[in-house]
Amino acid sequence: MFFLRNYKTVIFVTVLLIIALVMLSYSVKYDTGGGVFRKIVLEATAPVQKVLSISVKSVSDAWLRYIFLVGLEEENKNLNKKINELKAELVLYQEGYLETQRLSKLLALRDDYNYRFISARVIGREQAALSKTILINKGTAHGLKIGMPVIATPGLIGRLIDVSWHVSKVLLLIDENNNIGAILQRTRTQGIVSGAGARGCILKYIYKNQDVKEGDSIVSSGMGGIYPKGLLIGKVSHVQKQDAGLFLKINVAPFVDFAKLEEVLVLASEEPGSK
Amino acid sequence: MLYYLSLPFLSILLVVVQTTIADIIFSGRLVIEISLIAVIYAGFRLDLIRGSIFAFILGFVFDCIAGSVIGLFTFIYVVIFLCSFLASFRMATEKMYFIGLFSFICAFLEEVLVILFYNFIFKFDILANIPFIFLPQALVVGLFAPVFFYLMHRLEVFLYGKPLKFAERTGNSRISAKI
Repeated sequence: MFFLRNYKTVIFVTVLLIIALVMLSYSVKYDTGGGVFRKIVLEATAPVQKVLSISVKSVSDAWLRYIFLVGLEEENKNLNKKINELKAELVLYQEGYLETQRLSKLLALRDDYNYRFISARVIGREQAALSKTILINKGTAHGLKIGMPVIATPGLIGRLIDVSWHVSKVLLLIDENNNIGAILQRTRTQGIVSGAGARGCILKYIYKNQDVKEGDSIVSSGMGGIYPKGLLIGKVSHVQKQDAGLFLKINVAPFVDFAKLEEVLVLASEEPGSK
Repeated sequence: MLYYLSLPFLSILLVVVQTTIADIIFSGRLVIEISLIAVIYAGFRLDLIRGSIFAFILGFVFDCIAGSVIGLFTFIYVVIFLCSFLASFRMATEKMYFIGLFSFICAFLEEVLVILFYNFIFKFDILANIPFIFLPQALVVGLFAPVFFYLMHRLEVFLYGKPLKFAERTGNSRISAKI
């Protein structure tokens, strides 16, 4: 008792450290995606982030509108959006044509999936050294669940990793923790796209003898069950044949400009059916 | 009591503001870790109980918002608070050059702990990020810390009429057991 009274401060701090270590061990071991406290913090963060984002955006918008003619910036934004939509449509048609060509040579292979989309607005972003994430303004109350893919014009941007009642966190595909089964659209070579932070993405496990050129489009392969097939990921920006190792070093530039994300779509998938 | 009740909200506000500032100034490539500077400041100014609770809550909020493993920055911030607290007994914590240097070392220590954690637990090799992200970030913290301390000093003078100093920091080398 005497010992406890004299050293209660030290004991308290030691207990705090032990609690932190236990939390860390539990998170590493079970990877629950966050408990109730994390959801509460996310819910509390959203309005603060929203207010700050709106304030900053208002100031920057006012500044831009002062310099440029009113309406010109809006027109430019609309035209760029239209171009991106048309580009995405063109790649989808190409993808459909290539798929038809392959399927005509195979026996009764059907790929039929049924998805519904939930739109959401980006209310905040966290781009620290270790994680690239954004916050969106929808959660479990709108039907979202952890693991759902998220897309924006013109392609894939990531997946949901944290979902609270009205706010969700999206892990961007440029985050180093993100790995996506991918396929080169031209040659149908399969690999894995991993995030590489500020450098974009890297396409891994492509053998040196494979045909890969700068400018090749990369789409999701559908392997792994998280991302459906055919979603745009990016294009090859650099190919390097290394002396050591079996694989090519391929840098991928994502199609999506992550700095300009405002609205996204979440793929709330239903059970894929096959004919 | 008001201090403990307001801590979670103020922590959230601090972390969100530092993220927004990073987005504006550095386009998200670097973060001015004001939260870390606040923990160091707490180590120099607050008592052990209040300061460790502050570091714990701030670290937990940072874990939740930054998307790192829960408990990682909670643990790191408490460790850094304790280092600052112990350093405050022995060193001239009023000197700006010391504040800048100590903050740089603490930021670098934080990054080393993170690198070791990801290397040993998840087998992620993020050593390549040291020269391009971690070192500049530690430098930014070291440069910004004196500014933060100066502003807090002015705030203390404005609120209390004089800067805060706790009795047990003036020459007493033993850690106080009082709450």
